[in-house]
Amino acid sequence: MPIDSFLYGFELFLNPLSIGLTLLGIIIGLLVGALPGLGPLMGIILLLPAAISLPPIPAMGFLIAIFVGGSCGGSISAILLRIPGTPLAAATLFDGYPMAQKGRASDAIGIAISASALGGLFGGIVLILAAPTLAKFASNFSPPEFTALAITGLIAIIVISEGSILKGMISGCFGLLIATIGTDEFSTGFRFTFGSHHMLNGFHIVAVVVGLFAVSEMAYQVMSRDLLKVPKIKIVRPGFNSVLLTIRHPLNLLRSSSIGAFFGALPGAGGVISSFTSYAVAKSLSKSEEAYGDGAEGGIVATEGANNATVGGTLVPTLALGIPGDASSAMLLGALLILGFLPGPTLFEGQPHIVSGIFISYLASNVMLLIAGILATPLFVYVLRIPKSYLLPIVLLLCSIGTFALQASVFDLFVMFSFGLVGIVFRSAGYPLAPIVIGIILGPLLENNLRRSLLISQDGFWIFWQRPVSATLLCLDLLLIVGAILFWYRKNRKTNSI
Amino acid sequence: MIIGKKQVETIAVVFLSMVVAVVFQQIYTSLAEQGISTGGPYDNAAAYPRGVAILMAFLLAIQVCVFCFADGSKKPAKLAKFSDLILPFSLLLIFAVYLGLLGHLGYHLTTPPMIISIMLLCGMRNLLAIVGSSVGISLTLAFLFERFLNVVLPGGIYRLNIPW
Repeated sequence: MPIDSFLYGFELFLNPLSIGLTLLGIIIGLLVGALPGLGPLMGIILLLPAAISLPPIPAMGFLIAIFVGGSCGGSISAILLRIPGTPLAAATLFDGYPMAQKGRASDAIGIAISASALGGLFGGIVLILAAPTLAKFASNFSPPEFTALAITGLIAIIVISEGSILKGMISGCFGLLIATIGTDEFSTGFRFTFGSHHMLNGFHIVAVVVGLFAVSEMAYQVMSRDLLKVPKIKIVRPGFNSVLLTIRHPLNLLRSSSIGAFFGALPGAGGVISSFTSYAVAKSLSKSEEAYGDGAEGGIVATEGANNATVGGTLVPTLALGIPGDASSAMLLGALLILGFLPGPTLFEGQPHIVSGIFISYLASNVMLLIAGILATPLFVYVLRIPKSYLLPIVLLLCSIGTFALQASVFDLFVMFSFGLVGIVFRSAGYPLAPIVIGIILGPLLENNLRRSLLISQDGFWIFWQRPVSATLLCLDLLLIVGAILFWYRKNRKTNSI
Repeated sequence: MIIGKKQVETIAVVFLSMVVAVVFQQIYTSLAEQGISTGGPYDNAAAYPRGVAILMAFLLAIQVCVFCFADGSKKPAKLAKFSDLILPFSLLLIFAVYLGLLGHLGYHLTTPPMIISIMLLCGMRNLLAIVGSSVGISLTLAFLFERFLNVVLPGGIYRLNIPW
């Protein structure tokens, strides 16, 4: 990436609006991360309608900061309440909670925030080095390669995502079908619009995602027995000395951040796998006196360093190829599309300053996470005391105002509600929701490139096997599916034999 | 009455089968009438959704087989008692009524009652706290969205909007 584009990106970021919104994003991210049941994805979804009315760099800075803060915030409730705010922080409680029980809650939270910020900065370096290289490699891609890439992105997420692979594939197909609603780009005919002018451009992705994730989550939350419960927790105040406690584990931090960035760059893998893997690796390489599982500082460093480095890693395929690494980065990709930018090699070639602005926003988010996270911890602890009976109506209200704000359309509100019901049915029956979102995002890319490939092909579908990159990717897809089926078969046989 | 995995799975399969059926119904009616259901890759807007729908129908058929035969020997898993669903059902009902009335009565008349209803549903009984916080939450969010993001919230038939 040319240095002048990088400097221009700096210039785009260095204004009060971008800096202020990044800081706000970090605080909101930490709040939604700390509150059990919400998390970074929910934060991005709820604030996306507000972000898309902003200029591109402040908007992306805001959303990325929520992603960064949300990936770390879960550790606060994991350490203080033994309830991880997000699945990302599940491994943090192995050592974080015992450390808090020994009267070192401030240190545990300080280490979690410091390791997250430093791991995130490592992920940022990986992002800055890897994304332009990958985009340059992909700049020679033509429709067959993009078709194969979209299929790979979809299959990788389906195979690795939670639950049954078969159900994941069905969810992915459902997402692909939802993406076909509206005006066809080629023939300009109307598909599945039922004569309604509201559906000429399909369903707004934000309305669909808010319904699927937020509305369904609130319906689940209201079933919990602790709607009025106020957790009894003391206010803790970590200090900046926790940075020193963290960098006393340099190898662990570097190794965990590398694991996080690697898993982040693989579509579908995500922060949960990376934090558990890096915890297992750190534990296996630790000295016996470190006592992992009984309040070891290294345990927190490993999990938190990894899950925030994952954010940087996950942005690599999202920005360079337009293939999201997980549901949260799919929403960032969706935001970029709504803001008028097409992620992928063309973005790196045509608007490198926007890419640089995003890189700088990401790095700044991690620096702000360190400062704001440590200074504002008492606020997050205070928020943990708010009962769910207050949070439920606030989230539902944010869902409605945010969705209405998209196009000032009441129709979008009904779309959101309907997809909320779909989300409840899918979750109850064990169908994962993330493949639906990925299907909606990748659907147009897949269909348009598939039809373009067939238009330029002399031999129909053979074009995908005649080109080395697309053939390799399709072979990889077949391997992934076969591997997943074998894994499922073995797992089922094992379960039945017990 | 107990809601089991079987019932929920059946609802999901029926819903997804209906989606597949609608895709084919539209291809043979609306898309055929527009002349975009046949031809080459440029003109044929039906080929791709048809392909996805066929794949989805195939996967659904496998899922039905897996569900019917794989777990046959096991006792079906229970998800929730019917009485446990009263709260989420009521929440969705309140939310649906709110969304239905939002366009007609406007944001400021519908939002505080919606928040009050949900808080009562959650078990809060301190009326002063409920009313105070519902009005506070409603006005704060309206201010943030209208003042900073230039969103004009629904004013309804009475055109109730606060000029912040």
